[in-house]
Amino acid sequence: MTMLRQIVIVSLLGLRTLRRRLWQSLVIVVGMACVTGVLLSMLSMAEGMHQAALNYGDPRAAIVVSRATIFENQSAIPRDQARIILNAPGIARASDGSPLSDTSAMTFLPVEMSRNDAQGFIILRSFGKEGQALRPTFHMVAGRMFRPGTHELIAGVKAPFQFKGMALGDKVILPDGEWPIVGTFATGDLLDAQLVGDTETVMQSIRHKAYTTITARLASPSAFAAFRTALTTNPLLAVDVMRLPDWNAMTSADTSAFFHLAIYGIGVILAIGALFGCFNTMYAAVESRSNEIATLRALGYGGFAIAVSILLEAAILSVAGGLIGASIAWTLFDGVQSGFGSDVFTLIVSPAMIATAILWAIAVALLGGILPSIQAARWTVSDALRAR
Amino acid sequence: MKYLPLVWAALRRKPIRTLVTFLSVTAAFTLFGLMIGLNDTFHKLQERAPANRIWTVGRFGDRALPIAVAHRIARIPGIKRVSVMSYLQGYVGDPKNIAGALMADDVYGDIFTDQLTPEGWESIRRDHTSVTMSRQQAEHFHLKVGDTYTLIAPQSVKADGSNVWTFKVGHISEDVPQVPNGMIAGSYDYYDRSMPLAQQGTIAEVDFIVADPAKAAALSQQIDRLFANSAHPTHTTPEKALFAVNNFFGGMDVGALTHGIAIIGLLMILFLIGNVIAQSVRERRAEFAALKTIGFSDAKLIALVAIEAALPCIAGAVCGVLIAAALSDQLPKVMPRTFGIPPPVMSPAVYMSALVSACLLALVSTALPALRLRRQDIAAVLSGRA
Repeated sequence: MTMLRQIVIVSLLGLRTLRRRLWQSLVIVVGMACVTGVLLSMLSMAEGMHQAALNYGDPRAAIVVSRATIFENQSAIPRDQARIILNAPGIARASDGSPLSDTSAMTFLPVEMSRNDAQGFIILRSFGKEGQALRPTFHMVAGRMFRPGTHELIAGVKAPFQFKGMALGDKVILPDGEWPIVGTFATGDLLDAQLVGDTETVMQSIRHKAYTTITARLASPSAFAAFRTALTTNPLLAVDVMRLPDWNAMTSADTSAFFHLAIYGIGVILAIGALFGCFNTMYAAVESRSNEIATLRALGYGGFAIAVSILLEAAILSVAGGLIGASIAWTLFDGVQSGFGSDVFTLIVSPAMIATAILWAIAVALLGGILPSIQAARWTVSDALRAR
Repeated sequence: MKYLPLVWAALRRKPIRTLVTFLSVTAAFTLFGLMIGLNDTFHKLQERAPANRIWTVGRFGDRALPIAVAHRIARIPGIKRVSVMSYLQGYVGDPKNIAGALMADDVYGDIFTDQLTPEGWESIRRDHTSVTMSRQQAEHFHLKVGDTYTLIAPQSVKADGSNVWTFKVGHISEDVPQVPNGMIAGSYDYYDRSMPLAQQGTIAEVDFIVADPAKAAALSQQIDRLFANSAHPTHTTPEKALFAVNNFFGGMDVGALTHGIAIIGLLMILFLIGNVIAQSVRERRAEFAALKTIGFSDAKLIALVAIEAALPCIAGAVCGVLIAAALSDQLPKVMPRTFGIPPPVMSPAVYMSALVSACLLALVSTALPALRLRRQDIAAVLSGRA
């Protein structure tokens, strides 16, 4: 109890004299604000992109791709194989008893990016008969649905954010001429930055002889095993079957790993810089307070209490900086729409991410403050008085 | 020069403080080096992309263009050399261990002299059943020259009904920034003859050289118009446009991103150095007053302080960029296999901009203490009143 009291008293005394060391102390605050600000700003993008990739499509769905493909556009499922897959066991049924499974073609269309003149690629995807039913969140926002069999497309609401010429009424040039965008839709996921048309019509136009993927809603989560076994053991098929969330996780894993590597790399280097700044500040603080510390020691306060109070001061300054950095990142980026390549997503600065950043700030403060605090604790009264 | 001992003494007054300043500057310049180096590398890639090289692929991801497309392109006036290639995609052993090979014809190596070494290309020309690979790929698959590379390519079933492709590793070359994830190349001729008759004569890409680089864009458009309404529409891009800096990274502004991060790092330590210098000047007020008394001008004193600030900055800048170079060398080893960036290269330009930034940092951080130094009242300081 007395130890705790000592710590409280010594810490309060330290904080009261903080004003005299204002500029020095700001080194820690500014340093940590930079570290957490940069870390969270960059993470907001990586997290936003990663979450969007994971939450793409209906989690009840399973996806069928040709064997050993790791990118969707590499997959090709011939028509004869598709017929078997569409009616495989384990697929949920629509009210008319037909299986809730659908063929899709997918390709990248070269287009101009909206914010600079860079060449970008929008995803052109297609719906078959059940395409809409397999996406429960799909709804038209403006215009109307494309008519199957005609050269019409619909565009996601976020497509114009990333690409030029993708708004309602614009025309997309395909080999069969100009395809008007007759409607705008929203699903709330990555599909919102894509173009959608009718499977058979689109395939004819882009000269695809095989479907790209087949998606099916599972009758129940446990139906997956039966569905997969039926397809992977059939010698007529050469396909891989995955739950859609697993496929999403697999296809986004490397991109996500790359961004996390880059961001935490940058974060660690910045944190090392801030750590030395913290060390320097606390070292100077201990020196400038040597009189005070000597007096405290003479009055019988323990070295431990003094050490803890120094660490506490470093931590408080660091957390203050961390909170400033976090609030800047949160204000600037949380909920902001952003795009990378073909994808449009929302940047995220979540409370959990802020907590992680604050933990970084505390860790830096403790690492940077430990040596100065040990030095302060070791001082005898005479040492401290002489240090002046 | 004769004042160097004076600066040295100032730096040694608080060795720990000098060391810590140096270390934090080093950290900031490690980041600076990586960021500016990366930006520099992206720009170099575009600069180095030959202006006369053009790539044609299937417009809608068609990887089975008829080879006639290449023959037709070769007949267009102004086109010098034409090569074709295809891909094998699959895995080695475990389906998760993705692998592939670029199957290039005998001309390809003459056009892409920058992707692999001439010896590498020569090795697959000499032995069509072999592959040549970059070091990164060889290390990943634990292969050396003479080993067998066994690739399972489910979508490329050979005429004999098998999808297992075996190659002898004929040559291994060093990695280049153009191909951040490394590459493996085999012979198109061998690939084509192994495929079933119905699928022979198909290609994934036509790559060619034009006589006049100024016409690259016009020729590209001409080619795409030519095939626009055929059974195989094409998408043709001059390599300079393909490697445009902003195309590279998802359409993001690489320059703004890298400079932004580098500058934040510098601002962070600017605050630190400013404080250290201010502190150091404050502690030595009497010393400076004495120097003024014996005839040192204000300018000279300020110069001394600026040099005192600049030394750890410059040392830190050089060390930081050196560390950045060492880190970049390790980058290919930790980068994910299907998403990568070219490792930053620390060119002399990066060192130069680091040095300039370090000097600026020192000058700016000296500014405030310098003002205080000028206003200093010698008598007051020496008598202990200030």
